[in-house]
Amino acid sequence: MHTNEHTQKAETFIVPIGPQHPALREPGHFEFTIEGEIVTAASVRLGYAHRGIEKGTESRNWVQNLYMLERICGICSHIHATAYCLGVEQLAGVEAPPRAQAIREMVAELERTHSHLLWLGEAAHEAGFETLFMYAWRDRETVMDILEALTGNRVNYSANLLGGVKYDVTGEQASKIEQGLDYLEERTRHYLDVVTSDPVFIQRTRGIGVMTAVQADRLGVVGPTARASGVVRDVRVEAPYAAYTAFPITPVLAQAGDLEARFVVRLRELFESYGVIRRILANLPPGELVLKRMPRRIKAGEAISRVEAPRGELFYFIRSNGSDTPDRVKVRTPTLCNMASVLTLTVGRHLADVPMILVGIDPCFSCNDRGLVLKRGADHEHWTWDRLRQIGLDYYAGERGSGGVGGTSISPAPLPPCPPALLTGMHV
Amino acid sequence: MISDLTTLLFFPGGLSMLLAGMAFTWLDRKLLARLQNRLGPRWFQPLADMVKLLAKEEVVPAGVNRLLFVGLPVVALAGALTAVLYIPLWGLPPAASFPGDLVVTVYLLSLLTLCTGLAGANSGGRFSLLGATRTLTQLFAYEAPFLMALMGPALVAGSWQIALITAGINGRWLLFTQPIGFLVALIGLMGKLEMPPFDAPEAETEIVAGALTEYSGRGLALFYLGRSVEMVLGLTLVAAFYLGGLSNPVAFLLKTLGLLLFIAIVQSLMARLRIDQTVGLWWRYGALLVLLQWLVLWGGRWL
Amino acid sequence: MTELSQTIQTAVSLLTPYAQTVDYPATNRADLGVGVADLVTAVSTLHESNWGYLAAITGLDCGLESSELEVLYHFCAGAAVVTMRVKVGKETAVVPSICPIIPSASFFERELSEMLGVTVAGTPNTARLFLPDNWPAGVYPLRKDFQPEMINGR
Repeated sequence: MHTNEHTQKAETFIVPIGPQHPALREPGHFEFTIEGEIVTAASVRLGYAHRGIEKGTESRNWVQNLYMLERICGICSHIHATAYCLGVEQLAGVEAPPRAQAIREMVAELERTHSHLLWLGEAAHEAGFETLFMYAWRDRETVMDILEALTGNRVNYSANLLGGVKYDVTGEQASKIEQGLDYLEERTRHYLDVVTSDPVFIQRTRGIGVMTAVQADRLGVVGPTARASGVVRDVRVEAPYAAYTAFPITPVLAQAGDLEARFVVRLRELFESYGVIRRILANLPPGELVLKRMPRRIKAGEAISRVEAPRGELFYFIRSNGSDTPDRVKVRTPTLCNMASVLTLTVGRHLADVPMILVGIDPCFSCNDRGLVLKRGADHEHWTWDRLRQIGLDYYAGERGSGGVGGTSISPAPLPPCPPALLTGMHV
Repeated sequence: MISDLTTLLFFPGGLSMLLAGMAFTWLDRKLLARLQNRLGPRWFQPLADMVKLLAKEEVVPAGVNRLLFVGLPVVALAGALTAVLYIPLWGLPPAASFPGDLVVTVYLLSLLTLCTGLAGANSGGRFSLLGATRTLTQLFAYEAPFLMALMGPALVAGSWQIALITAGINGRWLLFTQPIGFLVALIGLMGKLEMPPFDAPEAETEIVAGALTEYSGRGLALFYLGRSVEMVLGLTLVAAFYLGGLSNPVAFLLKTLGLLLFIAIVQSLMARLRIDQTVGLWWRYGALLVLLQWLVLWGGRWL
Repeated sequence: MTELSQTIQTAVSLLTPYAQTVDYPATNRADLGVGVADLVTAVSTLHESNWGYLAAITGLDCGLESSELEVLYHFCAGAAVVTMRVKVGKETAVVPSICPIIPSASFFERELSEMLGVTVAGTPNTARLFLPDNWPAGVYPLRKDFQPEMINGR
């Protein structure tokens, strides 16, 4: 038993949230010191979803990296790939065709829709509003279906290629997307109404976790979290990339800076997304999807690529030494910027508000924890599908046989310590 | 002697009550699920849960008072099952009755909450302790208004004995003359059962499972059963007091189920209240409104 | 002069007293070499004149044959990105903390020190942010001489 539990006098009562906790969808560790129900101090420890991706990029070629970086995050996968592609194209001195750029933007906005609706459900769940959670996620299926129809995948769409995109939009798909957007628009309007008028829900959001514009600026927050505090920080507007010059969006702002403002900003952003997707579908530039020639080796140099992920500004620094692998890929995700605000905003609030404030920044721990632990034993570097399947079969055979843990007939190799190895395995 | 044992062990107490509790729990979960656009559990799910939990090992955390840890769930369930005897289940007259049994029943119904709180405090874990604090805080919030709401019909009938109260209001639907009392009683029951929006004591996104975080196996099963039984008892009490007293079992069951539907709808409509908001709600509105209703009752000399 | 280049020029002119080198790798970027000693003054100059925000701190290992690490402080204002490039020796990798000026740099500095072994002098929190607790001391994963065997201790 932990010693603290006996000395839980007054101020040293620490509530650990995570690494495994129902409030967290992904592992992270927070410690909130509370007095009664009021939080007096907060700290965070990340890294539970560390997979060695930044280091991993150094040993994979430019094309392989695209697929690995896309897997940094399951929600905003496309935007990671887009940031990387734009950076590499910048280094190589090429530019993807206009049609490809427009499709990139469209998929990015569809992804934002899916991410924001997912967030809405999750935030509702943190507030104990299970009905909104269930409905938001039901409607999110619409955009998931659209993405699947478009790219064949519900997540990790793999739409990007260096120098273009893989998938075109057919007329049939376009009308399907239009239909889906009509439905989503109607639903989003309803949800906006719910979060701004439901009296019980408002009690949990209005005036909670207030961050002023000055604070937001000082804490360096990005994305919808910043925009809800009236700070215009949107890469799509400030530094348009892909096709955002041809198909611009208007930044959505709110001034209140509380949780309700974060709901309103994210939901109103969805209307922007729907609008821009419709405009792209109507005016999709003709032409090629991908460049005829994309160099395998990238000229030496450094590039910075900034894009607006659903959670805020995503920052890529890519350095090439002229070979077929990058020298350094640095990924700075929006969650890292916003995380500090959670620690600041929760102090002085009720413990019950903590999950709400945390979810208010839409944290993505996988994005955050790219990092390390790359174990390259020759033995289990590549796990092919057949091998995985065989291990599964052996495992269950062993379990039935011994009636217990079934350890005997499992392959002696330990389970793979690092997903990147798994990922390359999938591409072999 | 045999008939006493039957009353205690089979009907209306004991086994039949446990089954009824599980049936009501299932219906509550199913209704809530359908209202939330989910499929919900199959009809035998609560039974399956109980069988599974009872068959599992009960893990007792190190450093707790073992007797309390194991004993509290038993006391909680026993309290709820004892209350069964004084309550006009299925519209039938209560199995036992004595002057003032209303107060005893309300006390027995609170025993579960009290045991939950004590169990949390005894478990020693942080989530349990926070959950226990919240459970007991919430107890102090809804208990008085709930009791006051049940007293409305008692005043009308001029008795503290449940059997006499139900007889006294026979046929009259006090729902229409005492709407506030009805609402406070029903919503107080939701607080008692820690249903949304009053589920702060077991808010999973903050304190995992609250006071019962450390419980597993048998202890958890007994607490769940206690809560299921209490749901049936509470609904019966409200139905008997506010929806026309005793009547034939089928009609009475329908009334009870109607109340359950109402509870399910309220649950699905609301986000979770913070514990301070819960307390504020009960004392600022619940208690005051019931007092106001008492004044009206007094003005009309119990109507 | 476009608005973009004006923004960049503002930053460059603010930083000229501290810049050892000035480079324009792209139309929206300026890259300034800054000495370790000047870093804090340079950052506070930029910060005090409200130019942009700190977007990231990147640590770079210049390669096995090089004895230097580079620490890049990226500041963004609109589309403009200004990078301050600080070179430090691998053996004596110490940079001053900029947290007193920009508190939100704390996470970036923690990441920098655990990933590249750059000691950030005066940073408020030196606890590990990403790496596991049992990660061996003195092993920095983003250095080029990093070998996986270093973690296993075998």
